[in-house]
Amino acid sequence: MNHRQKGRLLLGGQYAGLTLWLIIALLPPVILLAAAFNETAMFRSPLALLTLRDFTLNNFATAFSAGDFWFYFRNSLIISVAAVIISVVVCVPMAYGLNKLRPRVRGALSFAVLAMRFLPHVVLALPLFLIFVDIGLSGSRVGLLLAHLAIHIPFAVWMMVGFFENVPKEMEEAAIVDGCGPWKLFWSISLPVVRPGLNALAILVFIMSWNEYLFALFLAGSDAQPLTVGITRFMGGVEAGAQYGVIAAYASLIVLPVIIFALLANRYIVSGMTAGAVKG
Amino acid sequence: MQNSSLNRYTRGWYFVLPGLIAMLLIVAFPLAIAFRFSLHDVFLYDFGNQWFVGLENYLYAINDPLFINSVRVTAIFTVANTLGCLVVGLLVAFLLSGKKIRFKAGWMALFLMPFVMTPVIVGITWRLFMWEPDFGVINQVLGFFGVSGPYWLTDRSTALFATALTNAWHLTPMAILVLYAALTTIPDETYEAARVDGAGPFQTLWYVVLPMIRAHILFVSIIIMTSAFREFDMVFTMTGGGPGRSTTVMSILAYNRGIANQDMGMANTIAFTMFMIMAVVAWLYIKVYKVNKEASS
Repeated sequence: MNHRQKGRLLLGGQYAGLTLWLIIALLPPVILLAAAFNETAMFRSPLALLTLRDFTLNNFATAFSAGDFWFYFRNSLIISVAAVIISVVVCVPMAYGLNKLRPRVRGALSFAVLAMRFLPHVVLALPLFLIFVDIGLSGSRVGLLLAHLAIHIPFAVWMMVGFFENVPKEMEEAAIVDGCGPWKLFWSISLPVVRPGLNALAILVFIMSWNEYLFALFLAGSDAQPLTVGITRFMGGVEAGAQYGVIAAYASLIVLPVIIFALLANRYIVSGMTAGAVKG
Repeated sequence: MQNSSLNRYTRGWYFVLPGLIAMLLIVAFPLAIAFRFSLHDVFLYDFGNQWFVGLENYLYAINDPLFINSVRVTAIFTVANTLGCLVVGLLVAFLLSGKKIRFKAGWMALFLMPFVMTPVIVGITWRLFMWEPDFGVINQVLGFFGVSGPYWLTDRSTALFATALTNAWHLTPMAILVLYAALTTIPDETYEAARVDGAGPFQTLWYVVLPMIRAHILFVSIIIMTSAFREFDMVFTMTGGGPGRSTTVMSILAYNRGIANQDMGMANTIAFTMFMIMAVVAWLYIKVYKVNKEASS
């Protein structure tokens, strides 16, 4: 075997490895989608569902009507969008400011942010439940939103600090010499540089809020329940029974927005998730 | 000198304060309340009656077989996730970083799917279509090789493995993308030099590449570890903590104690213990990171 053949074989092996992982990564979501379009999804091999032998759209119709889809959808959407807006408004300035503090203070605050970023969600859900009962926020979207923000703020600040570190110091110094004030320095010098970071922040926070379940279980009461609670309730109810197809349709509708996001904005997701990787 | 003038002009505190106040109100304050409740006997729907019991809840917990069991389950779950994600993530990232591989962004976009998928839906999908004993994909594939698979999620001896594997499937993209980003920073000459010295792909990976991306490996291990440690959604929708107590991770035990048993004092004790473990992890991470940075600079 000569050198060239060996190189070909190696490349083929690389593609084979990647394809194997691609199948493992995509099989569950693809089966879920396929099941949603099949008349009878139960007692059949999920692999056979992929042929779409008894194609139907009825599952979606049932999911919309019996599953109370739009009620939960509204809650999910309102909370996720509000979480994105507030996270951007609060966290971006904070991440910017952290870089400007004295090193000791900055170190202490960074540690606090990091410790909060690692926080187990249940340790917030329990006391928030009690606090919200006290102050009349239990079962409200505002309460649920606050709980989401408790997770988003440390995450977003940590991530944005990574982006702001890419702003060249010389750029800011030149602006100061030109008589640029602190607000303008932030708004017109640093912010444009971290624009991709803002996109990453918005997308990741939206996905995190959209996917959240634990807080909803504790805090949503009956009026503020999002889709993640909606589907578990639907599965527990009598309408669902053993209708795997309807459950799959419901589930597909929930994951569709995040999957579309991931396909369209994967660049930002990647940059956001790696932003905190190389700093202390 | 230059730096200090920059600091003075930009007035960091103005920018930090709104976020800091928000964090104090919605993170630090609830944490303090959690700690307070962990020192009390207090029950759901009866918050008026609280008895201060000091560390009694903690003492009760460490002698409680259910608590010890949940610590064991959480530890296995977390370690399995971290190791699984790291190994698979590193291999996939290494393959993807190959110089001749095309459409890298496309592969990466598709690789992200498991990670962005809603954990609740991941749990439901794997339960109904993957681990299902008679028709599920796993047992169909095993059957193809002549193996009859177990009743994964309803068997005490396999449920933890199945849930951990599902969660690792969900978290692996994180390892892939961080490690891939790290690998792209390694210059081609490094691989060239290793090849000239006669190193095979795996030797190159182990002796040359891994030491260079140590910081990234540390980072991604911590991220995966902390997410696996607190995981609730997926395990709860897949097994609800069962069968028996075989998948009752600490988050689920805290939920059961607080909501099902209405024992909010004990629930907060378990949750706050989780927080303390994570605070130590965060502290260690920063220490190790600093040592690493000083060693490499």
